[in-house]
Amino acid sequence: MPTDSGQATYLEAVGLALDHEMDRDPDVFLIGEDVGQYGGAFKVTKGFLDKFGPRRVVDTPIAETGFTGLAAGAALVGLRPVVEYQFADFISCAFDPIVNVLAKHYYRTGDSMPVTMRAPFGGRLRAGPCHSQSVESYFAHVPGIKIVMPGTPEDAAGLLISSIRDNNPTLYLENKYLYRRLKASGPIKLDPIPLGVAKVVREGRDVTLFTYSAGVHQGLEIAGELDKEGISVEVVDVRTLVPLDVETIVNSVKKTSRAVVLHEAATRMGYGAEIAATIQEEAFWYLDQPIKRIGAKNTPTPTSPGLEDAVIPQPADIAEAIRKVAKA
Amino acid sequence: MATTEASKKTKPAGGADLANRDQALLRRIYETMVLTRAVEDRMVAMYKGGDLLGSLYTGHWHEAISVGAASALRPDDYMAPIHRDLGAHLYRGMEPWQVMASFMGKATSPTGGRDGTLHYGRLDLGHYNLPSHIPANFPVATGMAFAAKYRGQDKVCLAFCGDGSTSRADFHEALTMSSALGLPNVFVIENNQFAYSTPISMQSNSEKFSDKAVAYGIPGVTVDGTDVLAVHDAVAEGVARARAGNGPSIVEGVTMRMHGHAEHDPADYVPKAMYEEWAKKDPVELIEKVLIAAGVIDADTAAQVRKDARQVAIDARRKALGDPMPDPSTVEEGVYAD
Repeated sequence: MPTDSGQATYLEAVGLALDHEMDRDPDVFLIGEDVGQYGGAFKVTKGFLDKFGPRRVVDTPIAETGFTGLAAGAALVGLRPVVEYQFADFISCAFDPIVNVLAKHYYRTGDSMPVTMRAPFGGRLRAGPCHSQSVESYFAHVPGIKIVMPGTPEDAAGLLISSIRDNNPTLYLENKYLYRRLKASGPIKLDPIPLGVAKVVREGRDVTLFTYSAGVHQGLEIAGELDKEGISVEVVDVRTLVPLDVETIVNSVKKTSRAVVLHEAATRMGYGAEIAATIQEEAFWYLDQPIKRIGAKNTPTPTSPGLEDAVIPQPADIAEAIRKVAKA
Repeated sequence: MATTEASKKTKPAGGADLANRDQALLRRIYETMVLTRAVEDRMVAMYKGGDLLGSLYTGHWHEAISVGAASALRPDDYMAPIHRDLGAHLYRGMEPWQVMASFMGKATSPTGGRDGTLHYGRLDLGHYNLPSHIPANFPVATGMAFAAKYRGQDKVCLAFCGDGSTSRADFHEALTMSSALGLPNVFVIENNQFAYSTPISMQSNSEKFSDKAVAYGIPGVTVDGTDVLAVHDAVAEGVARARAGNGPSIVEGVTMRMHGHAEHDPADYVPKAMYEEWAKKDPVELIEKVLIAAGVIDADTAAQVRKDARQVAIDARRKALGDPMPDPSTVEEGVYAD
């Protein structure tokens, strides 16, 4: 079982929150491929089978449509399933039960399906086109699903707790590059962090970087560098794409008058387009510059390091883009 | 489980057999089948008369499967039916006017007009309201069964699909999951000879759809889907097995889709001779004859049941027609639960 050393990794924070919720609510159970005896492909649920038993930690055949639909049915009659997709890439195998069963059921019937869907996503692990995808935009277009993308171990815990307690299907995307690279500074608080509340993680004057997930620590590092050049960057961690905290975004734009949006997903039709359009609709007259979007190139994510790095935005590219917007 | 050969011997039960059965259950099965036919015939007229939105999906010749299977459940069991299963809904308490209201998009339909046509399941009756992507109801049915097992309840979830659904991944994954996890499910395949226009000969080389059970290591049986008591008995056996913790099974009922896929479909791809042959096997007439022959009901009672059912359908139409449409100003409410 995960223990909190005071420097919990992003991965351990996810495990701590799962353990906490399973202790708290007997209706919460885990289901997915290799989550039990193997402890999950990334070992998030290592030890859970021993502690909670096979009734609540359910290893399944390779059947994403099957276990997602199972979770929907179990949730419909009162349980709170937490589904693990081994990689976010495999969530496409469950597209139908997510989009047509989970997302629409409450609107169609008034009966809720509180399913939490956990999936490790993202690149930089040289895992190639089918193991590196960012899937948030596919689902952000579908009414009825909440989308949560924590960028720190602290948020990973608190937002997962809220996702499990939420009465809606919630897609909780874990950045697998951060799993063992990002550590908490101090004990993890196992309190719910409300969904739909963005966080200003660094105050600044000249330009705001709106981002989420891995973009948060990247953005903070870059903001520190740019500060030395005299550019004051505000960093806003959006944290949940659905619901989106429009108020915090607009307030930051009113303050800095310049906006850059960053994510690891492809720029084209990426969630940054929604954030940029929202700013344009709600705070256009406060802007001094066009909004800049930074994301991956419009290609699959290649495997070979030089190729992958050429596709996913690199710190130097991000810094240069912010510099241009701030100075223009 | 009975084998196919055995089920073929299950002729419409004679008087001696019926005397040992629950007489009230027999009457309820019969009355529900008559009502199902009356409501669907009324809705066909309503479709032609322009009362309904979109098309109309009927279950003529499916009454024995839907009612026979539903009558094998306890009221607290779960059910995940499809669009040919009006009889199963009515058996467990759905009101005919609610079904008509659904096909009209009325505010009083079970979905308040958010969904419509055949999507009228009611959770308070234990019925999953399926989306259009059948058999998406199969994996969901495994989840309802999983929840019962998780809680130590001896509830069962009965799921229905057609011959066409057996080709889809949901079918395979649900059967795989249910079998691997030992869930209390019974899966009913309503083989009505056609997936829309595609005959079963173009869907599968399996001799029987219940043969698929072999792959999952579970029992599978094929019965005459126009014989309500044969269906009831086969499903009851599967339900008892599931309730005892022995896992899922498949029951295939063989019948014929006597209307088009939906009422807009003239089904001119169906050979006339097929209709002529199957017309001799009306499941409602078959059970009526059996019950009268066995003295469970008499001809006068049967006539009265039919007359009453017709009146219920007429009254249901009147109520549904008079009910209000939903208020468009509420359209953005309830996308997310609180």
